[in-house]
Amino acid sequence: MILELLIGLCLLGSVVLFVTPNRYAGRLAAGWSLLPLALSLLMYAGFSGQGNALLGGQLAYETTVQWVSLGPYTLNWHVGLDGISMPLIALSTVLTTAAILSAWTPIEERENQFYGLVLFLEAGLIGVFAVLDFFVWFVFWEAVLVPMYFLVAIWGGPRRKYAAIKFFVYTNVASLVMFIGFFTLVFGLGDSIASLDMPAIAQALRAGELGSLAGVGPGTLKTLAFAAMFAGFAVKVPIVPVHTWLPDAHVEAPTPVSVLLAGVLLKMGTYALLRFNFTMLPDVAQQYAAIIALFAVVSVIYGALLALAQQDLKRIVAYSSVSSMGYVILGLVAYTVYGVGGATFQMLSHGLISGLLFACVGVIYNTTHTRMVDDMSGMADRMPVTTSMFVAGSFAYMGLPLTSGFLGEYFVFLGTFHADFPGAAWFTAIAMFGIVIVAGYLLYAMQRTLFGPFSVKTAHADGGAMRTDGGEGSGSEAEHDIDRAAAHDIVPLAMLLALVIVLGVAPEISFGMIRDAVGPLVTAGGAG
Amino acid sequence: MAATSTAFAFEVAPAIAILPLASFVIALFAGKYLPKGGALAGIAATGGSLLLSLWIALTVAGGATYNEEIYSLVTTPNSFDLHFGLLLDPLSALMLVIVSLVSFLVHLFSLGYMNDEGERGLPRYYAGLGLFSFSMLAFVFADNLFMSFVFFELVGLCSWLLIGHWYREEAPPSAAKKAFLVTRFGDYFFLVGVVAIFATFGTTLFAGPESFPTLAEEALAGAGGGEAGGGAGELSTFGFGPGTWFTVLGFLVLGGVIGKSAQFPLHTWLPDAMEGPTPVSALIHAATMVAAGVYLVARMYGFYALSPTALAVIAFVGGFTALFAASMAVVKRDIKQVLAYSTISQYGYMMLGLGAGGYVAAVFHLMTHAFFKALLFLGAGAVIIAMHHRQDMWEMGGLKEKLPVTYYAFLAGSLALAGIFPFAGFWSKDEILYEALIHGLNDPLLLGGYLMGLTAIVFTGFYTFRMVLLTFHGEPRTHTARNPHSLGWSVKVPLVVLGVLATVIGLINMTPVAEATGLHIEYLHTWLEHGIPGLTVEHYDEVLETVAGYSAASLSPLLPAVLSLALALAGAGLAWALYSGPDPDHHTERLGDIRTLLMNNYYQDEYQVWIAETFGTGVARLSDRFDQSIVDGAVNGISEVSLLSGDRIRRIQTGIVSNYATLLTLGLVVLLLSVGLAGGWFL
Repeated sequence: MILELLIGLCLLGSVVLFVTPNRYAGRLAAGWSLLPLALSLLMYAGFSGQGNALLGGQLAYETTVQWVSLGPYTLNWHVGLDGISMPLIALSTVLTTAAILSAWTPIEERENQFYGLVLFLEAGLIGVFAVLDFFVWFVFWEAVLVPMYFLVAIWGGPRRKYAAIKFFVYTNVASLVMFIGFFTLVFGLGDSIASLDMPAIAQALRAGELGSLAGVGPGTLKTLAFAAMFAGFAVKVPIVPVHTWLPDAHVEAPTPVSVLLAGVLLKMGTYALLRFNFTMLPDVAQQYAAIIALFAVVSVIYGALLALAQQDLKRIVAYSSVSSMGYVILGLVAYTVYGVGGATFQMLSHGLISGLLFACVGVIYNTTHTRMVDDMSGMADRMPVTTSMFVAGSFAYMGLPLTSGFLGEYFVFLGTFHADFPGAAWFTAIAMFGIVIVAGYLLYAMQRTLFGPFSVKTAHADGGAMRTDGGEGSGSEAEHDIDRAAAHDIVPLAMLLALVIVLGVAPEISFGMIRDAVGPLVTAGGAG
Repeated sequence: MAATSTAFAFEVAPAIAILPLASFVIALFAGKYLPKGGALAGIAATGGSLLLSLWIALTVAGGATYNEEIYSLVTTPNSFDLHFGLLLDPLSALMLVIVSLVSFLVHLFSLGYMNDEGERGLPRYYAGLGLFSFSMLAFVFADNLFMSFVFFELVGLCSWLLIGHWYREEAPPSAAKKAFLVTRFGDYFFLVGVVAIFATFGTTLFAGPESFPTLAEEALAGAGGGEAGGGAGELSTFGFGPGTWFTVLGFLVLGGVIGKSAQFPLHTWLPDAMEGPTPVSALIHAATMVAAGVYLVARMYGFYALSPTALAVIAFVGGFTALFAASMAVVKRDIKQVLAYSTISQYGYMMLGLGAGGYVAAVFHLMTHAFFKALLFLGAGAVIIAMHHRQDMWEMGGLKEKLPVTYYAFLAGSLALAGIFPFAGFWSKDEILYEALIHGLNDPLLLGGYLMGLTAIVFTGFYTFRMVLLTFHGEPRTHTARNPHSLGWSVKVPLVVLGVLATVIGLINMTPVAEATGLHIEYLHTWLEHGIPGLTVEHYDEVLETVAGYSAASLSPLLPAVLSLALALAGAGLAWALYSGPDPDHHTERLGDIRTLLMNNYYQDEYQVWIAETFGTGVARLSDRFDQSIVDGAVNGISEVSLLSGDRIRRIQTGIVSNYATLLTLGLVVLLLSVGLAGGWFL
């Protein structure tokens, strides 16, 4: 029942916060979010699962309750964790607390609703990672979109409506495509499954029980379903060319929301890809491995190049997420322990590091009211602690050894270089060039904003429209002094940085359970 | 009794690196509250490292070696192990002593250079020095290539931190960025190399029967014997022949070496890195970052010795860099710029030595250079303190009388750098050139390297003494030079220690004397003969001969030694003739266009910036435009209908959006609860 307790705590917190006066909402939310955080860390410490959740592994904290019958299928409440989902749940709770703390300064209206939605979002995220029945899983999957939509649409920047609707429509269409793809498989399996239980479906598919549907043979059916699900999840990751909602959403979203968006929401996409495409249909994944790897490499390099062209700090970090998530896809397609395990580790690591960087950008924005690289310089002089965190986070993002960022990428490279699909070594070597480009744009951004003589220009003293493409901002260019960051702004940064370093020095804390969970997938996936 | 004390020395060896790490943490978090901004913690830590390193060296001298894993990052059954380990053999023990000594002296010198000059960021500075020493020392005793890469990268971070120390100005952060980016470009190839070596051999250990140089050697031996069988059959060589593939791997790792050791064409970061504080320059050039590249080649020499192509390229690049950089040093006005180009040039010699099969010679030069270049940089630092932070040599002159200790120490370093008998640089540089010559007589590429290295001697002699004469001799040319700032003991002590070393350290391996007299006085050679099987000079010589096909012409070392000494004296003599007067002319300006070319460093920066801007920023801008117009344009086109309807929905909801959210949340909770109750969950 402990997983239900975890989700329930978040939902209850959400309800409580909606009726809390705005004045107390921030502090209550932070305090409340410590409950799921502490609980998930306790669960992490006492984790006893073995094997892969979908491939007959022994789950931790498992509950199965029969719910209702829907035609020929029973719907179950089935939750449980393996070594892949456990770290992601811990990541969700950690980032929620960090996001709530970093919202104290910038969120100044309707606080109760804001924090209520954040906790509701947390419940949805935990559900996505914990639930193993497709129907309930899909409810959580969609439920995440709702608070996200409002968080962007209400507390966002000037173009928040456009960004929120774009995000919502984009991902909803993707969900539809994915849903159709998945149900093609369900109907193709026919009588061989009696429920929408994901482990049962995965095992039936891997046992080759897929039949024909509407005259289409199982081979084609699998490929079509794979393509549909891949396209659907690709939007969430996002993979080039379906990434364009991401920069808009990030730029318009308030910073704490960006922390969650980059930190956990993107991982839903790669998590689902891993659970559905790569676990249920390994033979299709391996057959088209080179094409998927091509998408991954394009995401890595193209995403990094786009980040290089940006002037807005948030856009830089947003596009570099596209690049970093490309490594995850590359690792998944390798079907080696280091490849798939590294991809999972990279999800975790990127969640922490991108959360850290977004939070840093937020702290800077809170005092300067600009995110344009050209509008500020010498921030190190006035905000030494924030600068240190920004520098450390940037180097972690660049894959500096002894941070988790290095190991995530390194595992993926190690696992993919000698993978079986054609051209694996070449794809890996090209993708690795991303580490040079990422250094290019982050060092450039740091040099321009943090160092040199101090100055800050804001083109919109009235807090009016902030242009995302820069250069055309009108209004008075006022030089003004800035304040140091408050302690509650620094705490989340320090917390995330500490985790990034701990995982970089002692990766076995998570990689141990991750390896255990991807093991069956890799060994059994080899034959298809 | 002896056995236990030996084991104990090795067991505390990790502390050599941990101590500076501790000083990093102390300076970072408590430096503000400590006297001297954390300097004392750094001095104590590196002093401790030095003592421990000496203990290790003594233990190794007793014939003991150590090759053990100490910390496992990730252990994956049936796949690669990522761990940190200790490899303590004569090479690493020697290097540990060099690094910790130079680091200790740099800390000491910093008291005079940074603390006494009203510096604000002292805790940050000493934290950086501590982290730098930690990274380099751990890099030196790494037992596998993965660990080397980890600390190689951390060394890069430290250089970024310290070069950009004075971040309130414009130039240092820019130089720091350049240093990190250029070396990262090299490290990209290194990273591919590390991953590829893992994929090929399943290990990146340097030493032992399961190490990658040994496996590669066995694979080549097997491939020579049978057709498809043999040892190579077990290794995955990615469709290449084992020999070709090993050469490719060697080149990949070499990318990192060329970046860090500032070899052509990735040398451009190093002169800019002079923006950092001068003691940092001493540390970077003598013992840490730049030395890391060459040390890495020496560390995995058993692998490079298998590939004559890689060796020849190393030698040629090294020889070319030696000459190329020396020519640019000739015209520089800034004392640190002269030293920067001399560093590039001297590391070129080391690469030439390694490529030419002169493993001992290269390690010898790595050692002597560490001492005399640290000396020269600290000497230059002393001059800069005295000159109130002015670095243009044309503003100096006549400092000899005012700064006698600095002068004589600097002179010893200069004589060593120029390669004048009997100072340290003479012996080591001469041995490199001798090795290049005797092997080069059978290999035109090596001979080319030798000839360039030989020519560079003239330039070296010239620029070194131009620097000495302009700085210390003649009449003072400015007011500052007439009234220099006085120097404290913390500045003088390191200069004296290094001055003595730069004078006498060459005597440990007097190859020409040994050959001429038949005495066994090549102590460094003897030192490197011992150690772990497969990591000794004999083994390398054997592999060079059997696998790489190197053969040495028989030639007395005396004649080449006399030749290089004569060239060095010629260069020094030319400098004397031109600059020794009380008020020397700007002779290099007579070079006209050539001077312009040299002052602009052959326009190397320009073309690299052009490439970076065209293929980096340019392509990025194009991608961005493509992304905004085509990719996102298509999305917006498709979703226009949805957006319109979304817009309409939004209009209906205006004003009650938050209520809607509340209702939605509550609704879902109620729904889940009721369904849960109906489903009997809570019963």
